[in-house]
Amino acid sequence: MNTQTLDTSTMKPQYPWKKSRPTVVIANSLIVVIPMSVYAFFFFFTDLPGALIFIAIFLPIQIAMAVIMTIFALGKRRVGDAVLSVLSVTAFSLVLALLGSVLLSVAARGLPAMRFSFLTQNNIYISPTTELTYGGVGHALLGTLTVVAIGTVIAVPLGIASAIYITDMKGRLAGFVRFIVQAMSGVPSIVAGLFILAAFILTDFVGFSALTGGLAYAILMLPTVARTSEEVLKLVPKELRDAATALGSSRARVIMRIVLPTAKAGIITAVILGVARVVGETAPLLLTTSNTNGTNLNPFKDPVATIPVYIFQFLGSGYESSIQRAWGAAFVLMIVVAILFALTRVFSPKGKAR
Amino acid sequence: MVETQEITNKSHPEPIRLGREKSRTPSDKAFSGTIVIAALSSLAILVAILIYLASSSWPVLQKEGFDFITGSTWINSSANPDEQTFQIWPMLYGTFLNSMLALVIAVPVSILLAIFIVFIAPDRLSRTLTVLVDVLAAIPSGIIGLWGFLVFTPVAEGWSKLLNQYFFLIPFFRNDQDQFARSPFIAGWVLAIMITPIITVVAREVLSQTPQELLDAARGLGGSLWGAVKFVALPHARGGIVGGVMLGLGRALGETIAIYFVLNLIFEKVNYFQILNPQGGAIASMIVAKFGEATPDEIRALLGAGLVLFLMTLVVNLIANWIVARSVREKIA
Repeated sequence: MNTQTLDTSTMKPQYPWKKSRPTVVIANSLIVVIPMSVYAFFFFFTDLPGALIFIAIFLPIQIAMAVIMTIFALGKRRVGDAVLSVLSVTAFSLVLALLGSVLLSVAARGLPAMRFSFLTQNNIYISPTTELTYGGVGHALLGTLTVVAIGTVIAVPLGIASAIYITDMKGRLAGFVRFIVQAMSGVPSIVAGLFILAAFILTDFVGFSALTGGLAYAILMLPTVARTSEEVLKLVPKELRDAATALGSSRARVIMRIVLPTAKAGIITAVILGVARVVGETAPLLLTTSNTNGTNLNPFKDPVATIPVYIFQFLGSGYESSIQRAWGAAFVLMIVVAILFALTRVFSPKGKAR
Repeated sequence: MVETQEITNKSHPEPIRLGREKSRTPSDKAFSGTIVIAALSSLAILVAILIYLASSSWPVLQKEGFDFITGSTWINSSANPDEQTFQIWPMLYGTFLNSMLALVIAVPVSILLAIFIVFIAPDRLSRTLTVLVDVLAAIPSGIIGLWGFLVFTPVAEGWSKLLNQYFFLIPFFRNDQDQFARSPFIAGWVLAIMITPIITVVAREVLSQTPQELLDAARGLGGSLWGAVKFVALPHARGGIVGGVMLGLGRALGETIAIYFVLNLIFEKVNYFQILNPQGGAIASMIVAKFGEATPDEIRALLGAGLVLFLMTLVVNLIANWIVARSVREKIA
């Protein structure tokens, strides 16, 4: 029998999944370099607008290059991959550019308006053309704080209770409650404002005030708090509940002493996400808190200013220094949202936000 | 011996739940009752919204009848109440047009971005991108409106002029006003920016649930990544993606402030398809635009418009949630 044995000692292991073959490297660099240089040529040496060059010249050449080079380096079968890669990188760049543009313009135009007085002073005696050295968002910052606090106080207990009902009590209506909470998360913010307007203000129950704004915010926060808490409560181990029940604890005690403390970090995340959801909402406040130029510390009476409405007010007036004030307020709001966003990362278990 | 036999036969004895039903103290009952009442608060709020919006706008709805939705006249004269007419068709259609434009832009971008995050980007990049998408979702609509009005509109005006210059033969891109700011085209872009994160998050979620065995099998058969995505991942995630798109649509329908700043609201005439013309509509933005100087009767009409918007978004969201839940459940089962 002449069995042929492979002489494995001289063979080198091959890594077919590693694609660092020289042809691929060359192909990849050509795919990047050629379309870019064509784009640069047209951009610098012709008068054509950038958007036109991008859509009509760069993108087709990019796709064509990717296709040709793929056929050359990897074979016909991978052409689809090349097109998919080019298009998805384009989508990714588009979203990144838009996001970058928003963040950078808020930073670049808002930062010059920042000064201590801008954060502490209110808006009395300020006309649309007043210099930026006077007046600021102090009153609006306080107002936003009040309205959000009222919303939180109302929405958080209700949201957590809904979550407990769905996950822990597993009542007969659990599925229905979850369904309703989901339906509620789709309520447009303006509708929440209209509802509070119709139910409280038009009926002369309460006037425009921080209270009515807080009620509108509560409607928008409730579903976020409920859904996030639900996810968090699901993570509490069943053994903990069973052990507590076996020791003779009542259901209330199990939930208040075992389940909620275990899920504390997650519940804090839920609350922060709820606050982040509403803190920049303008529309409901236009209909429920109205606006004012002074500081209003009474949450139950008289209109109150808030940051989103402040932006709305000054953008609407159109003068140069007003627009700077709007950018300044937008910057303050962005910082608030960024802090909330960072807090969710700190509190959420294992750095996973949702 | 016999006794142990019996016990081992019952390998899964039914747990005896003494603490659950029998020994409920009054305080326990009170606690449970409070929780149930609190849990039903969402239902109460939804029903209250419906009742209050419907009842406060009833006089106007009754007077206008079906024309409230299909008519295009808005006359407000407190001196002559009989001449008053409140009809919202231009706004309703405008909402629809803006949302469709937003979907046309956002859906391909979101799906491609989700594919990029799940299948193409290296681990680190894809984690960063996931965070960035969350950041985009967290930007308040007022800031998007400010940016859209002052930064984006001049840029998009340029794009509009190009479209008009090269594609004026296509009716969509005609412009008879020689003015390109504050058009549905720009409103569509701004909405697209706001709904892209919503669709991307859902699409990423369902795409990443594609069973690894199926993907490996597709790749192992010599298929390309595109093949695996097209024939395995996308069909698998289709339901979830459709649901995510509907969630985005729900958000687009109800968006108020951003649209208010970037769109010229025209109340008496419908702009059916000329997306570059500086005229359009949006129900939510109309409510803000009209609210400032509204008479009591007009406020009733605005509440009616809010009711229409509420019902529209409710239906879209319920369908969306149903589709997402169903597709996720199917995938897990």
